[in-house]
Amino acid sequence: MRVAILLLATACTAQTLAPSAPQPLPAAQTAMIDTTPKARRRMVPPEVYLRAYLTWFGGLVPLDVQNRAKPKGLFDAWDDYLAALGLPDYKIDLPRQSQSNTLMLATLGRLGEALCVRAAEHDLHAKTPLDQRVVFAFDPAGDFAAGFDVLHRTFLGYPARLAPPDRLARFQALFASIAARHAGAKQPLTADETAWAAVCTALVQHPEAELY
Amino acid sequence: MKRRTFLQVLGGTLAFHKHVFAAAPADQFFIFIHAAGGWDVTLWADPRNEKLGLVDPASTENTDIAPLTRWKSAKLDGDTDTFEILAPSDVALRFGPGIGDLYDLRHRLTVVNGLAMNTVSHPDGTSFSATGRHLAGGHPPASSIDVAIANELGTGQLLPDIAIGFPAAYVGDHLDRRAIPLRVANAGTIAKSLARSDAYFKADDRAAITALLSDEASSLAARSTYPETFERVKSQEDSLPKLLGDELKEAFTAKALTAAYPQLDYKAKYIGQGALGAAFAVEAMKRDLVRCVGFALGGLDTHNQNYKQQAHTQQEIFGTVATLVKLLDVTPHPSRRGAKLADHTHILVFSDFCRTPQINLSGGRDHYPNNSALVISPRFKAGRAFGKTDREQLLPADSGLTFSDGPRPISPPDLLATFLHAFGIDPRIYLRDGEVVAEMLA
Repeated sequence: MRVAILLLATACTAQTLAPSAPQPLPAAQTAMIDTTPKARRRMVPPEVYLRAYLTWFGGLVPLDVQNRAKPKGLFDAWDDYLAALGLPDYKIDLPRQSQSNTLMLATLGRLGEALCVRAAEHDLHAKTPLDQRVVFAFDPAGDFAAGFDVLHRTFLGYPARLAPPDRLARFQALFASIAARHAGAKQPLTADETAWAAVCTALVQHPEAELY
Repeated sequence: MKRRTFLQVLGGTLAFHKHVFAAAPADQFFIFIHAAGGWDVTLWADPRNEKLGLVDPASTENTDIAPLTRWKSAKLDGDTDTFEILAPSDVALRFGPGIGDLYDLRHRLTVVNGLAMNTVSHPDGTSFSATGRHLAGGHPPASSIDVAIANELGTGQLLPDIAIGFPAAYVGDHLDRRAIPLRVANAGTIAKSLARSDAYFKADDRAAITALLSDEASSLAARSTYPETFERVKSQEDSLPKLLGDELKEAFTAKALTAAYPQLDYKAKYIGQGALGAAFAVEAMKRDLVRCVGFALGGLDTHNQNYKQQAHTQQEIFGTVATLVKLLDVTPHPSRRGAKLADHTHILVFSDFCRTPQINLSGGRDHYPNNSALVISPRFKAGRAFGKTDREQLLPADSGLTFSDGPRPISPPDLLATFLHAFGIDPRIYLRDGEVVAEMLA
């Protein structure tokens, strides 16, 4: 009985809720974001590649690009390349390709060469003012690294100084070897212009331009 | 384990692997042909010339017989004629008139009838025939037969697998990236993609660019969490200079192929540019560049009055196959002295499904869940047909063959499993279903 009275007394004890001053909010915690890649790289969808390509060519429509790229056998017609680029072809039930293959790389190479050679003709050979240039918006006689950085930003989307450290030297060696090979040769572009076109061609079909 | 014992075991294991790999026929070639649209098997492999049950045979009322070289009329009813079945005494095969010129090579044909398709959808039937699996979410859930062969036997080739309008599918992480099929709409595309103007860059310049890109891919692979994609690009860049050589570019233009193989009918009325795929196959195999070539010969989807041309289309398809085989007969094997390509080339011809035994109200035939296929290979028993259909409904029937799950018709996975097994490839690596039909193998 005594125990029951004691329990009853405890249960009936009034609790007092005294008001208190507001406490400052705890500091926001920094959530750790895992930025490591979770999936393998994939081919850029061909539509994205083609849109980028047309933009690099000066924002022309495909037919104009085709007409401009055709002279001297640099290009044929878009229809010839759509399947090789991985686009679906509903006329023959050919689905979209999700993996690159050697022929796709060869096709990207052909497109890249057409773009870069024409751009070199327009920008460098015709001595177009800097603000009207499509691709080579830099002084080609200046520092290689500065020119390369412009092309790197255009095609790969970020400054060359953030790329793996051996990249600049590799491209510079390519530039030098092609410029030397073409020095004194009778051709539509000068040796340096050809070398810049080669650097551009390599960047257009760089793995980082084709994969995401 | 003592060092000596360990080395003996290791040596034995290596010797075993060497034996297994040595057994793999790395100098064989494979041609896969998709007869696109769904063929009427009653006009060639499973001929019917009498009205029985659902079967409405081809007749002078529904078929344009003028261009058919193997049509021999037989009375059907009234003024209507049907065809006489070709039943040669030298082989256990019967044909309809669609077989055309391939009839002359009948002793080399292995016919599979009554294939259980379980589908009447073009994409699904095509996937089932090529991969042994029905589509899942609109996509093939397994690799196609050409990819399996290229993965096992073709990765050393410059072009392991070319698919010219052929429904090749590369599925799975366990396959070699080099086996990814090169899918193009037509053979001429290959030459155009390889074409380069010499006005600005020379071959040396392009080789330098390709070498740089290969180094870049290698460098990125070394830094990447998932290096596989970059490694694949590197291997593809490495093989590009060989592909861009002048000799190849010139050999694979439509003009060059047409000139090299005038025997093929490039102006065929219904199969379009399919013959160019056959020419490409012979040229690429002669040069030892490929392991598998797949191409499509189409125009068989005849739901209405265009059924009149079904037999003619088949005649063009089988005529192309016959010419292809004859070309392989006279083309030397690139690495086996004295051998011909035909002795080491294996051909599989399939379609999406077959067509209904009855003629519909539009005068054509619709889709039907039965099928036939054709194999031309020294590894298969030739001059014979396997599998059956029932007489009245043309549906797949018990094949009379021994399967672990009891009597049943043959299905596409069985045929694909048998094809892989014929070349020492374990079908279980590539196929979920299907059993090897040992009776088919020579």
